[in-house]
Amino acid sequence: MRVIIVGGEELVYFLGRLLISGGHSVSVISKNPEDCSEIVRQIKALVICGDGADPRRLEEAQAMRADAVIAVTPRDADNLAVCQIAKHRFEVPRTVALINDPDNETLFKDLGVTLVFNQTRMISSLIQQELSIEDIVNLLPIKEGKVIATEVRIRETHACAGKTLVEMALPKDTLLSVIIRGDSVIIPRGDTKLLADDTAVLISTPQAQGAALRKLTGE
Amino acid sequence: MRYREYIRRKYLTIVGHVGTLLLGVALFLLLSLAALIQFPEELPHAPWFVVPALITAVIGAVFRLAGRSAGKMTLSLADGGIIVLLSWTLAMVLSALPFFLSGLLNYRNALFESVSGWTTTGLSVLNVETTPNIFLLWRSLMQFGGGAGLAIVMLSAIVGPHARGLYQAEGRTEQLLPNVKHSANVIIRIYVCYTALGAILYVVGGMSLFDAVNHSLCALSTGGFSTRVASIGYYDSPFVEVTTVVLMFLGATNFATHYVLLHGNHRAFFRNGEVRLAATLAIFFIPVILVAVALPLYSVEKALRVSLFEPVSALTTTGYTTVSYADWSDFGIACLLVLMLIGGGICSTAGGIKQYRVFLLLKSLAWEAKRYISPATAVHEHYIWRGESKFYVDSDHLKESGAYFFLYLCTYAIGVLILLACGYSLRDSLFEFASALGTVGLSVGITAPNAPALMLWTEMAGMFLGRLEFFVIIYSLISAARDIGSSLTSA
Amino acid sequence: MFVVIIGCGRLGSRLAIEASKGGMNVVVVDKNKRAFDLLTAEFSGFQVVGDASNQEVLRSAKISDADIVAAVTDNDNVNLMVAQAAKHLFGVGKVLARVTDPLKAEIYAQLGLKVLCPATVAADAIGAEMLK
Repeated sequence: MRVIIVGGEELVYFLGRLLISGGHSVSVISKNPEDCSEIVRQIKALVICGDGADPRRLEEAQAMRADAVIAVTPRDADNLAVCQIAKHRFEVPRTVALINDPDNETLFKDLGVTLVFNQTRMISSLIQQELSIEDIVNLLPIKEGKVIATEVRIRETHACAGKTLVEMALPKDTLLSVIIRGDSVIIPRGDTKLLADDTAVLISTPQAQGAALRKLTGE
Repeated sequence: MRYREYIRRKYLTIVGHVGTLLLGVALFLLLSLAALIQFPEELPHAPWFVVPALITAVIGAVFRLAGRSAGKMTLSLADGGIIVLLSWTLAMVLSALPFFLSGLLNYRNALFESVSGWTTTGLSVLNVETTPNIFLLWRSLMQFGGGAGLAIVMLSAIVGPHARGLYQAEGRTEQLLPNVKHSANVIIRIYVCYTALGAILYVVGGMSLFDAVNHSLCALSTGGFSTRVASIGYYDSPFVEVTTVVLMFLGATNFATHYVLLHGNHRAFFRNGEVRLAATLAIFFIPVILVAVALPLYSVEKALRVSLFEPVSALTTTGYTTVSYADWSDFGIACLLVLMLIGGGICSTAGGIKQYRVFLLLKSLAWEAKRYISPATAVHEHYIWRGESKFYVDSDHLKESGAYFFLYLCTYAIGVLILLACGYSLRDSLFEFASALGTVGLSVGITAPNAPALMLWTEMAGMFLGRLEFFVIIYSLISAARDIGSSLTSA
Repeated sequence: MFVVIIGCGRLGSRLAIEASKGGMNVVVVDKNKRAFDLLTAEFSGFQVVGDASNQEVLRSAKISDADIVAAVTDNDNVNLMVAQAAKHLFGVGKVLARVTDPLKAEIYAQLGLKVLCPATVAADAIGAEMLK
C-alpha cells in the first residue's frame, strides 16, 4: 500500500518506520526542513518539504497513486484540509486525521474524512474512569476508540483472583478474550479461573470499560 | 494652519451632532403640552414651553447646518464624550427656561430643578402644591429622558458613524446587541414598555391618570420627582408602594440584564454579579432597618412597609419616600447612606458608584487572596459574568474601577465639607450630598428654595458629575483644552 | 441581519466596520486581542477573543444565529474549516471563505463552498484594466 504521512517531528518518523516495516511504501510531507532531513536519514521514504495542505505538494508526494493519506499535524484545520484535498482532488480512497478538539470528530466525519483519531477523548476517558492505572499494562483503541482492548495485570489483592469468569459476572458489552499465564495463552471459557500474575486482555466499549475493570480489580 | 483647519472641522462635526440632540430636546419640551389635554385651563402657561422649544430648535438647526459644512469626518471615542458633555449642559440650561420665564423660580433654582430632572436625582426646590400641572409633567419628562440618556434616545432613532463613542460616553459600558443602534432601540423599547406597565398598575392602585403617568415616568427612571409633597407616602397604599418598589428595581437593573432575562436566560441572570450584590444588600439591609429603625418608630404593618420601601429607594437611587427621616436614628440614616453610595446597576438609569464596580472590587479582594495562596508562578485569568458571556478582567479594568471609586469618595468628601461650611450638621451634610452625588433625591429636608446659593451649586455639580460619571467630563475637558491650546500655538 | 466575521486583519476589520455602519449586528472573532485595534470608532459590534478553529469559540460568538459568516483569517485551512463548520454543523445560510491559494480555492469551489480568492479577484480586475 502507498501511504502519505503529513506532519512533523517524531510521530511521523515512528509511524513511517512502522508502516515501512509492515511492507508499505511511504511518502512524508513536512514543513520544517530540519525535520525533513532528520526523517530522510532515518527511514527509506520520499520526503517532501512543504505545506501538506498545498495540492502541489500532495501531487509531488504522489497522491495520485496513494491508497491512504494520514494527517498528523498539530492543527485540526490543517489535517482537515489535507484530507479533503487528498480525497477530492486526488481521489485517495482512505484519509486519516488526528484531532485535538473533540468537537471536531463529527464535523470531520461529515466532511468525508474516513478515519478520525480523537486523542483528547482517549486520554480523558482513561482518566475519567478513575482507575488505578498502574495495573493497566497496555491499551489499544480499535475502530477509532469505539472498542478498547485493555491489558490488565492481575494481582493477588484483586477481587477476581481465584474466581471463574461465571463467578465474576462481567458487565454487558465486555469480553475477557485472552488470558496470558506465563508462556501459555488461554482462551477462557466460563469455568476458567483467573490467577494472580495472569495478564488478561479485556475487550470492551469505552463506556463499559470502567465498570469491567472495577469488577476485575475490586475497587 | 493645516492642523487648525482639522480642529475646526472636527468641532463643527461635534457641534452638528449636538444640534441633532437639541432638536430632540425641543421635541421633548413640546411633549409636556400634553398636560393641556387633561388640564385645558393651563393653556396660558403654554408659551413658557413653546418659546423655549423654538429657541432650542433654532439653536439645534443652526448647529446642524454648521456641522453639515464640515463634511464627513470620523470622530474618535473621546470626541463622543465632548458631544455628550455639550449636549447635556445645553439641554439642562434650555430646560430651565420654562421655570424661569414663567417667573415660577429664579434662574438658579430653575437650573437646579432642571439639573435635578435630567440627572434623575429628584431633589426639588419647587412647591409642587402650587405649581401648575404642566410644569410637573415637564419635570417628569426630563427625568424620563435623562434616565434613558439623551444619546440613547437619539441613537435609537438615527445611527451616526460615531455611535459607540456616544453610547459609552453616557456611561453605558455594556451593549445588548452587537450593534449600537439596535442596542439603543432595545433599551428604549424595554424602557417604554415598563413605563406603560407602571402607569397602568398605578391607575389600578387608585392614582389619577396624571399622577400615575408622572410617577411611572419618575420611578422607572429612578428619578423620584413626585406630584405630591409627601411623595409616595401621600397615597398610603401598600399596592402603590409595592408597584413603586418593583419599578425602582427594574429601573436600577442593567438593561443588558433585562435583555438576558426577557430572553428567558435565567441562568445568566442569576449568575450576574450585580443581581447577586443587589439581592444580598436587600436581604441584609431590609431586616436590619426593620428591627433597628422601623419597629421602634412605627406600627408593625407600617414598619414592614417602610423597611421595604426606603432601602430600595436609596439603593436604586430613586428617592421616593413614604416617611420623613427627621425621627430616624443615626444608624438608620447611615444604612441608607451606604446604599445610596453603592447605587444601582451599570448601564441602568440609576446613579451611585454602581453595583458593578463594587462587586468587581469585592471580587478582586477574593482574587487577591487566591493569588496570595497560589504559587508565585501560577497564571490567573479572572472573569465575571456579563450579559450572557464571560468577561475576562484585566488589571487595567480593575484599576479604572478603583480609580472611579476613589474619585467618587474624594468628590463626596469635598461636597460634604462644603455643605458643612454652609452651616449644616454632619448628619445632614453626609446624607444630602450622598443623595445629590448618587442622583438619589432622598432629602433630610435641607434642600429648599431659600437654601444658600453655594449649597445649591454644590449639589448641582454633584448631580452632574454623578450622572455623567466623572471620567467622561474630565477626559472631554482635557481633550477639548488640549485641542484649543494646540490650535492656538500652531497658528 | 447578523454577521459573524472570523479574523480581524486588514480585510476582516474593514468588513466589520462597513457592516456595522450599514446597521448590521456584527461579531468579530480573532485569536489576538491586539488585532481589534484595527477597528475604528465606527464599529459598534462585539469582539470575541479566541481561536476560531475551536468550536466553543464559535458557539460563544453565537454563530448558529448568524445569517452570514465570513471566514477571512490569514490561514486558509482555518477559514475552510470554519466555513464548513458554519455551513454543515451550525446551519448558517450564507458562508464565505477567503482562500489565498487559487488552486485550493478551485478545489473547494467544486465542493460547493463559496470561496473568494484575493489573487484571482485582483488578477481579473487588473487584467480587465489592461485590456481596456
